[in-house]
Formats: sequence, C-alpha cells, structure tokens
Amino acid sequence: MKKKVELLAPAGAFDCIQAAINAGADAIYFGVEQLNMRTRSSEGFTIEDIKEVAVLCHANNIKAYLTLNTVMYDHDLQLLRIILNKVKQHSIDAVIAADFAVMQLCKELNIPLHVSTQANVSNSEAVQFFAGMSDVVVLARELTLQQMKAITRDIERKNIRGVSGELLKIEVFVHGALCMAVSGKCYLSLHAQNASANRGACVQTCRRAYKVTDAETGEELLIDNEYILSPKDLCTIGVIDQLIDAGVDVLKIEGRSKGAEYVQTVTQCYREAIDAVDAGTYTQEKIAAWEQRLATVYNRGFWEGYYLGHPTGEWTKKPGSAATEKKIYVGKGRKYYPKIKVGEFNIESGSLKAGDTILITGRRHGAVKEQLHTLTVNGEAAVVANRGDKLTLPVATVVLPTDKLYKIVEEVHA
Amino acid sequence: MPKIVHYRNKCIGCGICYQQQPLYWRMSKKDGKATLLNAVTKKDVQLLDVNEETAEANRSLIAACPVRVIKLM
Repeated sequence: MKKKVELLAPAGAFDCIQAAINAGADAIYFGVEQLNMRTRSSEGFTIEDIKEVAVLCHANNIKAYLTLNTVMYDHDLQLLRIILNKVKQHSIDAVIAADFAVMQLCKELNIPLHVSTQANVSNSEAVQFFAGMSDVVVLARELTLQQMKAITRDIERKNIRGVSGELLKIEVFVHGALCMAVSGKCYLSLHAQNASANRGACVQTCRRAYKVTDAETGEELLIDNEYILSPKDLCTIGVIDQLIDAGVDVLKIEGRSKGAEYVQTVTQCYREAIDAVDAGTYTQEKIAAWEQRLATVYNRGFWEGYYLGHPTGEWTKKPGSAATEKKIYVGKGRKYYPKIKVGEFNIESGSLKAGDTILITGRRHGAVKEQLHTLTVNGEAAVVANRGDKLTLPVATVVLPTDKLYKIVEEVHA
Repeated sequence: MPKIVHYRNKCIGCGICYQQQPLYWRMSKKDGKATLLNAVTKKDVQLLDVNEETAEANRSLIAACPVRVIKLM
C-alpha cells in the first residue's frame, strides 16, 4: 500500500496557521521567542501563544511542531526549559531541533523530536544515529533524489525505527528559499553585519548584487549575473511524484517569514499536487497551472534545487521577488455583523473599485482572495471606496480589528 | 548626560554586548536576553544614565548589535 505523505506548512503568525488549515496542510511548524531561525524576519509567537496554537491546530485535526533550531548558548538553557515545559503541557506534537541540548531535553521530557535540516543529515548512518532520539529526520536540502531514495531504502531494509517504535520518517523541503551555503553553515551575515544566521538574525547578505573586481588592476571582471550569491527558490511541484516515489514521508514548505496569502497559495498547490499523484491524475497541464499560481506569490524565480543533481546552483536574476502579483495595503477590519455575515473595513490608503481583486488576511480567515463585484461605501452603493471611507462586504468569518485588507494588482517585470 | 537605551524585547540573545562590554552587560539566565546592568526598566526598555567614558565604551555596541536594539542618546 502506498503510504500517505504529510504536507507541512510554515506559520509565522496566526493568520498563516488559518491559511494553512484552509489550504489543506496536515501540519504546521512555528517558532517562539528568539530561539528559532526566523527571529529577525517573522512576526513571531510568544511562549504564551503555544497554548492557542496547539488548541487551534488540534481542533482542526492538524499537527503543530515547534522549531527550536538555533545554536543554543548556556544563557538560553533556562528559556529553553520553560518553552519545552509549555510544549509538554499543551501537547505540541514535536520539536524540530539541531542542537544537542534540545535533543537531550526532549529525551528527558519525553517530547517527540524531529531533527532539523540545520543538522545537515546527508547519509543513512547519520539517520541511524538520530533514530535513537527522534521520529523524523529532515534531510539536508543539498541531496539529490537518488541520495534520498538510498536513505529511505536503507531505513526499510535495516528496519531503522524512531523513538515511537515506528519506522523513522524522512522529511524534505519541497518549496521556498534556499541558502547559498549548506544550510546552517553560512557565516556571511555574521561577517558582514555581525548578525548570525544561526541565531535567526540573517540579514540576507547573499541576496544582494555583487561585482567582482580585480584588486590589483581595479578592473571589474565579467560575470553573467550580479546576484552571484543568491540562489533561486526551490520549487518541486513538477517533480513531486518523484519525491513521493523516493519514499519520503513529510513534504515541507519553507516560509515562516512570509504572509498568509503565500502560505495559502503554496500549501494549496502542493495539496492538490500530492492528491493528484495519489489519484493518478498528475498531469503536465496541472503542473503548468500550479506553477503559474505559485509564481503569483513571493519568489526569486524557481528551480528544482539540488534534487535533480544539477552541477551548480541557479541564481536570482533580479532583486526582491519575481511574483506576478503584489498586494497593496488598503485598510483594516472595523467590525462584523454576524447575523448577515457582513464585515466592515476602514479604508486607510488608496482606493477600491468594482472589479478589483481584494485580499483579506487575519487570524480567523487566513488569506481570502476574491473579486469585488459591488461596493457598499458608508452604507450606500458606490462606485469607488476612498481613504477615510467605510467599506462593507459579505465575509464568511468574523472580521477583527487586526484583519488587513489589500488590493491585489498584477506585477509586471521587465 | 548620555543615556544607554536597550530595547530589550527585540533582543535575540546573541551575547555580543556581553562579550564586548562585560562590565555593563549580562546575559539573563531567565529569558536568555541581554540585560543592561543597573538600568531602569520601563515596559521592556532599559535606560541607564552614564558618564562620557561609559558611553564611549559602549558606543561600538550600537553597530555591533545585530538587531540594532542598543542606542546611545
């Protein structure tokens, strides 16, 4: 019998969790306080949020994993204990870690452990080593499909079991940003701005444009691309059947610092792709459609990473995102009329008119994208809603003051 | 009089301030963040009036802190 793979989505805030749930994720991963790899870039959760995350995820029948994958120092150990006690108390499903202190404490507290990609596990002996303390191993992102396959085959052949007693599971990244270095081994950001990537403070030095100059002559050397350190983003939607066939158990999406619409779009595409492979309806036409949808949200251009055995990386062509759509902030939630299921928004910037595509993000909605057909502004039918206006529209879920309203526009890249 | 300001809630606990100026900083064992010794704490912001010499000693931390939460005023 073919095994069911798990789709694991990133969550940097509550709206992302809801988006992941709506889009069909089987699990989410999140970080709290400063002990995770997105300390600088994501909104972040606090220790107090652990309970709410657990309740929300479990009520929706998805699992919640907590990332504690930075380098740990002695002064972190007390905080680490406090966090792990909360994990235990609120039945968070597992902790993702690379530091041995976290692994040891998880063992002491009997908390399921997933070995982070930061541990760069690249062979079956290392997998066997970690099986003694974990249930899932996230492989290094730099392996090829053949190498993954050899590892999963070895797990079955050698009957390598995790702490739970079940066969050890293998997790791989399927989508999102890649490092220019072997994950977790990059010191660029630390050297350039004292900001350690391994403490979640990466300033993305690699994403900038560089020139190579001959120091002796001052001559600039000819290189075909200024973004020589910035790899394109991983996208495996076109080879997801091969990944599943390689025997991996968990497919992970990168992006805890991305918005709810990103989580929604990417998770939904991969959900559909996994289900299509399962149903035998995975076709080139569908792949093309998914690729088009994935391109609408933040990306630096796509390639299949190292999975297909490319000799060198593919590098970003332009700064920032190559997304074909962008969101423009328009306003925020004001109130909700539950009986008639209508939400009211304050327009704080720009304007909206009939025919515009809007995006509502918030902890109850996740990310909802729809087209505006008619407008009700300040209680009356109108053609346009401008700054200062109150816009009302039908919304299925409760509108909160923390909800944000955006206009979606096409982004044209030269 | 100069003042060292530390926006403690944004500290990521990397320890660079303590490494460079152990006379003025400690790493809290409680929450893993840096603590400016003898400072007054208001809503997670630490404030310490210092003389010119102490201000000078801590000046390099403004740039050294990776999340830029240490200021001199």
